[in-house]
Amino acid sequence: MDSMKDTKAITVSGITKKYGATTAVDTVSFSVDEGEFFGFLGPNGAGKTTLIRMLTTLLKPTSGTAVVACCDVKKDPAAVRREIGVVPQAMTSDLDLTGYENMDIYGRFYGLGARERKERIAYLLEMVGLTSRAHDLVAAYSGGMRRRLEIARVLVHRPRILFLDEPTIGLDPQSRHVVWNFLDKLTEGDSMTVFLTTHYMEEAEVLCSRVAIIDNGKIIALGSPSELKAGIPGNDIISLTLGNISEQIMTKIQGLPFVHQVKTEDTSVRVYVDSGATNLPALLDEVKMSGGTVLSATIHEQSLEDVFIHYTGKSIREEEARKVSFFVGAGIPQKWGR
Amino acid sequence: MIRLLAVIERDLKKFRRNPVVIAMSVVMPIVYLIILGNSFQGKLRSLPVALVNHDTGPYARQVVDNLHAIEAGPATFTLLSLRDHQDAIAGIRKGVYKAAVIIPPDFSRKVVMKSGPEIGLFLDNTDSISSENIRNLVIAATGSMRTEYIAIREKYADAQVREIDLYAKVDYYQSLVPGVVIMAIFLGTLTSGAFNLVMDRFLGIDESYLLTPLSKSHIVGGLVISGLSITTVIAALIFTVSMLITGIPLSRGIGQCFAIFAIIVLTTLCLLSLMFVILGRVYHPRIVGILSGFLNVILFFPSGAVYPIASFPGWLRTFALVNPEAYAVDALKAVLFKNAGLSAISGDLFFLAVFTAVTMSVAIVSFRRTI
Ligand SMILES: Nc1ncnc2c1ncn2[C@@H]1O[C@H](COP(=O)(O)OP(=O)(O)OP(=O)(O)O)[C@@H](O)[C@H]1O
Ligand SMILES: [Mg+2]
Repeated sequence: MDSMKDTKAITVSGITKKYGATTAVDTVSFSVDEGEFFGFLGPNGAGKTTLIRMLTTLLKPTSGTAVVACCDVKKDPAAVRREIGVVPQAMTSDLDLTGYENMDIYGRFYGLGARERKERIAYLLEMVGLTSRAHDLVAAYSGGMRRRLEIARVLVHRPRILFLDEPTIGLDPQSRHVVWNFLDKLTEGDSMTVFLTTHYMEEAEVLCSRVAIIDNGKIIALGSPSELKAGIPGNDIISLTLGNISEQIMTKIQGLPFVHQVKTEDTSVRVYVDSGATNLPALLDEVKMSGGTVLSATIHEQSLEDVFIHYTGKSIREEEARKVSFFVGAGIPQKWGR
Repeated sequence: MIRLLAVIERDLKKFRRNPVVIAMSVVMPIVYLIILGNSFQGKLRSLPVALVNHDTGPYARQVVDNLHAIEAGPATFTLLSLRDHQDAIAGIRKGVYKAAVIIPPDFSRKVVMKSGPEIGLFLDNTDSISSENIRNLVIAATGSMRTEYIAIREKYADAQVREIDLYAKVDYYQSLVPGVVIMAIFLGTLTSGAFNLVMDRFLGIDESYLLTPLSKSHIVGGLVISGLSITTVIAALIFTVSMLITGIPLSRGIGQCFAIFAIIVLTTLCLLSLMFVILGRVYHPRIVGILSGFLNVILFFPSGAVYPIASFPGWLRTFALVNPEAYAVDALKAVLFKNAGLSAISGDLFFLAVFTAVTMSVAIVSFRRTI
């Protein structure tokens, strides 16, 4: 049969989820190869959790299909669940049990034998640096420790496909790097497929071989981090803050040979250029000659952040600031809706 | 002041956003009133009493007429005429009648001869409220004849009611033991089993097992069995303590203990699976709080643990026919006070088993594996 040769771990076509009038996920299609590290990048409320819940059989899609591991999530959810491991956005380990007990019981849900569980759990706890706290109640863990436990727990049964919904949310930079290294190693050895959502640009860039950018339930760009960056003009971005702004200044900047594109917002100007460091003096001169004053200037290499801004016209951080109240209750608003 | 108002407003808002809770807190007290009112009527009604009259004489007819007058008037009991007093006594043992009035063939003759006429009254004394009432009314029924008779002749012809308690004496405290055990089972099943599911849902940790290959029957079955072990231990403890306090003897040894254990286990399973059907989709512990009072009233008071089922109005008696607690109380009373063995309570146990099977299946089918 065709599926024998099929190396796709996930195939999604036209998947949609509506909550009344809001469309949380809007006809999304993509596929993920076996062994790939695939990322979904989007701001709060973009539809990442909703998408992951549909792919992991927790939510019924309004329309569209998704084949995960072997089977259609609608037709054979039980078979899908056997092949996957999921770390949900909200933490789900049991506070009344110890870290070790949480992992052990989880292993038994998958029918693992006692010996295998023991070895595997010891190995994983070591990997996430929780060996010394293994027999403490999870209630006594810090947020970051609990997060690491959840990631270790999901690996007990060696899932073929691992789903992580914002796995490093709430971690300090140091713990975040621990988790990144850990996840990186996973895909090397076990040829596991990883599907991750995040709103950290850096995370997607460091970990993912391909990234889909999602906003308002729609995929707006998809490719490897370097492809996505190549899709926007120039290779550096110079951000200027001007004292005043005028039509004339803008046309002058636009006219420079090394400038690809200019975007403005109030008195901030983003200039997409080639070789930013070499061309900065020329740019500043041009602004001054056309009667402008430069209050500050920064150069940076393009990142996924810029990709996001390029495609959506807004930065992920602004989004965050606006939706901060939703973010605080992440995971809980969905609960009430049931 | 601003702070206080803020606390008040926050709380009221949360309450308002929970329409189920509001609806229940309005409807349930009304249901309490109806159920409680009808299961604790001031007066007993329609208690089934067997009447066996072996005497064709006039005085026997007079007693029978008096009894029928009570049946027609205050209607405390309903008379059922039988030919054979053995049938009547067997009927009490089976729980069909609360009492049997037996008038011997020589009753009228003894009245005339003034040689100590007697009426036999067999009582199901495990139901102390009903037997007390029936006794007083039967004495009254013979009494009116007595005064009339005394007016004409002299003494010594007084008809005596000879009471025969069918079972060892049960005092009021002892008669409460089955109810206490059922109440313990109810509380145990309410705070284990499906309740843990509601809490997991509320805390958002249900995802951790919904995402695993566990099947619906694993989840429902696992929670029911853990609830069973917790509740059985609690109920057995409470049973033992109340037996010691009230001094009920377990005269039939190991068989009786086994029968009691079987009743506790089956009743627990029954209520656990019933809770699963009811709480299967509840996502907030507050709803469990409100439901607990409600369920307790509608299951416990019409169970016959406190007041005899026979006195309930028709609709409530019909409800008692499907109320698992009524079967549990009946079986426990039989084993504790009537020395019944497993065979005598097999009907009750059968009902509990069927009820469990049905509700458990409904619970598994209606359980949703999605969020
Ligand atoms: N149960 C629900 N009822 C109604 N709307 C919902 C429900 N769950 C999610 N939504 C809406 O669907 C949209 C997508 O939500 P989702 O949780 O998938 O976003 P997200 O990308 O995971 O965001 P975050 O980064 O904050 O976790 C949001 O607009 C949200 O309000
Ligand atoms: Mg989310």
